[in-house]
Parts: sequence; C-alpha cells; structure tokens
Amino acid sequence: MTIQKDTERNETKYLHKFANFAGKRVLEIGCGEGRLTWQYTKETRLTVGIDLEADSLRVATIDRPSDLENKVYFSRAMSEQLPFSKETFDLAILAWSF
Amino acid sequence: MVHALREIRRVLVPNGILIDLRPMLSNWPIEVVSAREIRETGRIQDLPLGLSDDNAANQSIAQAEQSGWFRREAEEFFPFYYAWDSPSEMEEWITEEWEDFIQLDEESKRVTRSAWALGDADASVRVKVKMLITRWNKE
Repeated sequence: MTIQKDTERNETKYLHKFANFAGKRVLEIGCGEGRLTWQYTKETRLTVGIDLEADSLRVATIDRPSDLENKVYFSRAMSEQLPFSKETFDLAILAWSF
Repeated sequence: MVHALREIRRVLVPNGILIDLRPMLSNWPIEVVSAREIRETGRIQDLPLGLSDDNAANQSIAQAEQSGWFRREAEEFFPFYYAWDSPSEMEEWITEEWEDFIQLDEESKRVTRSAWALGDADASVRVKVKMLITRWNKE
C-alpha cells in the first residue's frame, strides 16, 4: 500500500511560519518515525524526539543522517513525565498528540 | 494531556515556545485528483471516540491557558493531504489506521471508486485533513 503524506507540504510551511528553529534546543513530543523532525532539525542546535513506540523510534534513529548524529536524539518517554531538567528547551512541539 | 502540558512548561525556558500541531475531526473531504481536476466524492464520518479525543485536547489546552501556563500567540487551520494511488488503498488504510476515530460510508466509497475508475489515467485519491497549529508562549 502506497501512501503519501502532506503532498502539498503545508505542514512544513506552517511549522516554519509559526516557529524559528535557528539555534534552538527543541523537544518534539510524539515524534514517531521522525517524519516531522526531518522538516526542521537541520536548523536547530539540539533536537530531542520522544515517543512511546519503540519501533517508531528505531526507524527514526536508523533514518537519522550521519551529519545529525551529534545533535538529534530519540528517546522512549512519556509526555506526562519528561526525563529532562527544568528549562532545558527553547521550543517544544506537541505533534499529532490527539 | 494537562499533565503533559504542565511538564512541557517545566522543561521550557522562560518565554519558551510551544507549538501544538494536531488534526481536528470535521468530516474531512475525500477527493479524486488528477492534473486536470479535483473532485470531491464524499466525506469522512467522525466517530464518537475521535470527537471525544478532540474535545479532551481542547479542554486541556483551555485549562492550561486559564491557569496562566501559556499565552496563545497565533493560531491557524491548514489542510494536510493523505494521498493514495487508488480508493482500495485508501479504504485499507482507514480501516487499519483510523478505525477508532473515523469511518467511510458506503455511498462515499461507491462514488469515490466510480470517479476514480472513470477518471483520468493519473487520478489518485486523497483525504483533506483539517489541521490546527497554535503557537503558545510560556507565561
């Protein structure tokens, strides 16, 4: 089954319209396989994607380009109990968490 | 979700930004698309669980705003398209991935299949999902 998501790239356009990622430390909650992550992460200083689905995180990690290995990380974590110190991030994305 | 919002507030720096990006159920249109034309062939049916999830998310956000955790700075809706080569692929996806939240009625299936079969050689099928994006500032 072939599926294409965001064929008009509206999500990417609006994400960049609403947030400036340059030099930011970003937390993405519900990152899944990293589909959205790859749309902004080249600009950030640090990106951490969390999700509950271990299989999705495995895909995201495998897909991570080698030049982003030192600033993009994926971790299994609950949004209700974030494993980070206070005031760690400049920007958070609550992605498709419905 | 309220607990998640409280946690997000904790890990954000003062004046940090939260981007909330999520689909909103609203009987999303089904379209048969080719280079020549776009034709709406039906509407997705929202299911109670999906609507209930949307309401719960809205209430959590409202609570976070009323509690003074975040200030709403900007908000817009935009279309997000899921596209498939054929109606059967769309039906399969909806059954497998979205069955708890939405469903297709028989009339929409019939009209979509017919429009696609009689359409141009490059015709494909898509669902126009209504997305909400909001930028919040940590108070």
